[in-house]
Amino acid sequence: MTRKKLSLTPYLFLAPALLVIATFVLYPIGAVFYYSFTKYNISTPPVWVGLDNYKALLTDKIFWLALQHSFTYLLVTPILIVLCTILAIVVNRKLPGINAFRAVYYIPVISGSIAVGISWRLMLDTNGLLNGLLLSLGVIQSPIQWLAEPSMTLPIAMLLTIWMGLGYYMMIFLAGLQNIPEELYDAAAIDGCNPIQKHWHVSVPGLRPQYVVVGVVSSLAALQVFNEIYILTGGLGGILNSGVTVVFYLWRKAFRLQEAGMASAIAIVLLLITLIFSIVNIRLMERGTEAD
Amino acid sequence: MRTKLFVLFVLVSLVLSACAPTATPAAVEPETIRETVVVKETQIVEKEVEVQVVVTPTPGPNPDAVIPNVEEGAEITMWTFWLSPTFDEYVKNAIAGFEAAYPGVTVKWEDHQATFRDDLNNGFAAGNAPDVINLSISEGWVTQYASEGNLLALDEYVPQAVIDTYFPNLWEQQVVDGKHYQFPYYQGINVNLVNKQIFEQAGLTVEDFPKTIDGLPALCKTIKDATGKLCDIRLTTSDLLAQMVYEGGVEIINEDGTAFTFDSPEAVEWLQMYVDMVKDGLVDRTALVTDNDRVGLDLFISGQAPFYATGPNLIREVRTSNPALYGYLDVVNSPVGKSGVVGKGLMAMSVSASTQYPNAAIALAQWMTNAKTNIELSKLAAVYPSTPASYDDPFFSAAPVAIEDSAKPRAKDAVAQLADIVPAVPEKLAVNEIVLQEIQEALFNGKDPQQALSDAVAAANELLK
Repeated sequence: MTRKKLSLTPYLFLAPALLVIATFVLYPIGAVFYYSFTKYNISTPPVWVGLDNYKALLTDKIFWLALQHSFTYLLVTPILIVLCTILAIVVNRKLPGINAFRAVYYIPVISGSIAVGISWRLMLDTNGLLNGLLLSLGVIQSPIQWLAEPSMTLPIAMLLTIWMGLGYYMMIFLAGLQNIPEELYDAAAIDGCNPIQKHWHVSVPGLRPQYVVVGVVSSLAALQVFNEIYILTGGLGGILNSGVTVVFYLWRKAFRLQEAGMASAIAIVLLLITLIFSIVNIRLMERGTEAD
Repeated sequence: MRTKLFVLFVLVSLVLSACAPTATPAAVEPETIRETVVVKETQIVEKEVEVQVVVTPTPGPNPDAVIPNVEEGAEITMWTFWLSPTFDEYVKNAIAGFEAAYPGVTVKWEDHQATFRDDLNNGFAAGNAPDVINLSISEGWVTQYASEGNLLALDEYVPQAVIDTYFPNLWEQQVVDGKHYQFPYYQGINVNLVNKQIFEQAGLTVEDFPKTIDGLPALCKTIKDATGKLCDIRLTTSDLLAQMVYEGGVEIINEDGTAFTFDSPEAVEWLQMYVDMVKDGLVDRTALVTDNDRVGLDLFISGQAPFYATGPNLIREVRTSNPALYGYLDVVNSPVGKSGVVGKGLMAMSVSASTQYPNAAIALAQWMTNAKTNIELSKLAAVYPSTPASYDDPFFSAAPVAIEDSAKPRAKDAVAQLADIVPAVPEKLAVNEIVLQEIQEALFNGKDPQQALSDAVAAANELLK
């Protein structure tokens, strides 16, 4: 009798959280999985179509292009890791006013992607700040329609993501750097390391746990990018689909074309990719840690 | 003892002094006088009086309550689109008038904005859509929801006399299988806002603005050559087939609805015009294919675009966002395409097919669009009534003062010419997406316009199988 009570108690404590997770995570995933086998326009009941949506995805050129763009977008992760490490090392000093610098780098994080996206759109507009600057310096003779150049859409969106994420990931690395014992740097100095070598041999290995976190978090965010693309391209996804990513294509299918069944199939594919990607990412990082 | 005697003496002295007469006049002797007292008595007398009796009659049916058999005790939900908070008072007054005209019926009003479509789709899916819905004619929402079986056909419920109160061209819009699903609500007039400063720099006047669509490329070239400014023209990316019909006079589907036909010479000529403008760098490409009307409007408001096609109701955006431009603003009629029709109506009121109170819901939809309610909204914003009787109001005969009102004198004629000439097509959203992709290929990727449209037709016809 006592045993039973003891075994029930933890579940009672877990029950509220499990209920919330079941309602807001597990049920929607189950519903999306079901809808992915239906033709569903949201306003009328879904109709079972079996694997038709998945078959259609296989031959959908825009979906493959979106997938390619999403994987290209993953380039932001190594760039962010490198830039944020350097930035964290730079601001990890006891200088007067250094906190102000740290705060400035953090401002884009708290500004919100929509507000930042609109600012960037205005800056890159035909009559925006960038063209004005380049024209006044004589670098260009007529304004460039940056956001209407298919080759520029994705790089600009990636640049925006990097700029926005810089402060956030920098803070994670900064916290990591402050946990590395000062004695290690002293030992490296005694061994004859110059400042760059000290960071290469002490800071970088010491930040490995942070690399795992930033690697997983930023790459998942990159795979799910939407706001930047939506705002920069005015909802079009870029001329000739030049900025369409998997999540943007999912949104287009679900809300602009009202093909919720097809959008659900895309969501399931994205879920699988994200899952595989996260497992591989963590395994690789863990293997690296074990090797150390 | 001596002390006691002294105290007694003092006390007696004090008492005697208090009782001593004061230095006042001597008291007057009372005088008796005679006074006449009138005693009033209540007397009951009978008198004949001529009385005028005024009888207040019990209120009769409101002459504006024109829908019969309204369900007693009905509770109606109404959703409007982007009317709050600017027009809260107008909507509340209209509802109060309705509830007075149809006693026992109550209305719950909600205004939905950016998420209107999502909310409505979810409402239909969940079976709790509002009874009365403010839908966009220009975006084709009535056709879409009616085709899906979500709207109530009005034909059985609305008396002919009520139908006759609307402009016939507006009543006949978005008809699905011969049935009508909307009461025409407020209308817009398609105009172009002109930046006179840029026109002057290009040596032009507003009179030089073309009357027909095919005059736009020449105008844009003149402006670009003289000022470097690009034209702020927008393709209707959400309904390209409609734009082909209005501007290019294109027949998009055959008569029996079995095959798309928008790769005809007329369609190719229409697309070629835009392809040439893009090739010559005359138009802002971001604005040309954006999904978002704000992109083009913001470009114009920033003072960098020579003109922009919109409604007079958005002039207030220019006034509030860039007052400096407001002084250089002018309004011209939108150029007409090969169809000869400038455009279709703007807004409608429809009734959900799942309403529990069809007559009450129809009564409310009709009330919101009747001549009196229509005119009240027109007095608040540059939108125009769907009922000819509204134009008899002195408001429309008064001379315009602000530029926002400049379309007022010709509003009735303009509204009377609006028409939805786009045939209903199956799989409209999917077909539009196919067309959008192929048009982009032609505009930005060098694909031959004829080939692009033929490929689009072939792909769209696959959806009909």
